[in-house]
Amino acid sequence: MRHTLLALALPAALVVGACGSDDNDSTGPNGERVYVQVERLGNPLVSEVFFPKRDHGLHNNSAPATDVANGFGAKIKAFTDAFNRGNTIGNTLGAVLVPDMLMVFPNRAGSSAGWLSWALANGYGGRKLTDDVVDAGLTATFGNLLDASATVLPGLTSDNVPMTVRSFLATFPYLESPR
Amino acid sequence: MRNMFRQRRGVVVAAAAILAATSALVAGRVLASDHQDTPEVELNPRMDINDVYAFPGSSADRIALVMTTSSPIAGQSASFDPDLLYQFKIDNTGDATEDLVIQVTFDDGTGTAQKATVRGPVAPAMTGTKSSLVATGDKITVNVGSTGGSATGIQVFTGLRADPFVIDLEQFFNIIPDRRPSTGPLSTPSTATASAFRSPGVDFLRPFNALAIVVELPKSMLQSSSAADAKFGVWGTISR
Repeated sequence: MRHTLLALALPAALVVGACGSDDNDSTGPNGERVYVQVERLGNPLVSEVFFPKRDHGLHNNSAPATDVANGFGAKIKAFTDAFNRGNTIGNTLGAVLVPDMLMVFPNRAGSSAGWLSWALANGYGGRKLTDDVVDAGLTATFGNLLDASATVLPGLTSDNVPMTVRSFLATFPYLESPR
Repeated sequence: MRNMFRQRRGVVVAAAAILAATSALVAGRVLASDHQDTPEVELNPRMDINDVYAFPGSSADRIALVMTTSSPIAGQSASFDPDLLYQFKIDNTGDATEDLVIQVTFDDGTGTAQKATVRGPVAPAMTGTKSSLVATGDKITVNVGSTGGSATGIQVFTGLRADPFVIDLEQFFNIIPDRRPSTGPLSTPSTATASAFRSPGVDFLRPFNALAIVVELPKSMLQSSSAADAKFGVWGTISR
């Protein structure tokens, strides 16, 4: 089914729980409510970029523990192979993004924090608010970030909007006040 | 009233990829990449996780976890869905299975009268795609829009924040026109008018907000050891 992007006209007052007719009525062994996962996100871009549409439900309705068995590494490599990016790029992306969890090495220097810094530079990892993951993803796929010998595709390695357009707070809760 | 767009982040990379595509197979795969295409998530933006972040907190021994949801939101009237369970999941034993969860639920209040309840980090009652609320342990309750907990323990904020994500979404649509919304100022033209990102790019998401959950806590509450190379994996989930 071809995806159709929804254009929403958002009224000033958004209704809470607009789609509540499908409540999950499962209960656990002690009568407690059992919730069923409908969405997950670890690394940015993984499901959206590398997986065909037929696998998006698989990603949302599964957990990292089955990512390897579900062949997520092969799916990633199939995507990069389709653009002839080479084995280094495909294998590296598959290795660092599967299982799909944001990896953190909390006892490494905080100054080394940044998306995939654990893989690229023995860093803290995680993901900072100021990380430009769009450019990182574009550069990883279409540039030579992961493979110095790869061809760089011009015009596709950055969306040319720097992260300096955000002024994140130095203190909790770090995100800017709402617009 | 301007129309807004709900568009998953990673589609931009897929969109750029289409320029290099020479095969219908590849193009089909790129066109298919979108985060919101399970019917439940498409129909209810409250079930959409936009981004997850993890970074050093206010001191070297603390870590901040952020989950943004439901963007793009126009205005400041949005509330969390009281029927959903939001979680940060942590694997600190290296088996890609959660050892700890931080569970966030909301009551049916609205605006800053809505209350958030935060449980954990605590061992989950069950792992995988099914979850139940952990019955024991401490809970923090705080009004949406306010900071709760303690700056030396678990500190919590939930509420509307400016969307932290940055992308030239308009140019993305110029490159990949079949990702365009069906109405609104970005709905035309219907054919590609660009083959590369423009310079400078435009920060399309700037006017919009997200419903955010921010938790900062001692990293010792998440890691399984204090070794130099100790690690854990983090991901966010929404369950119903």
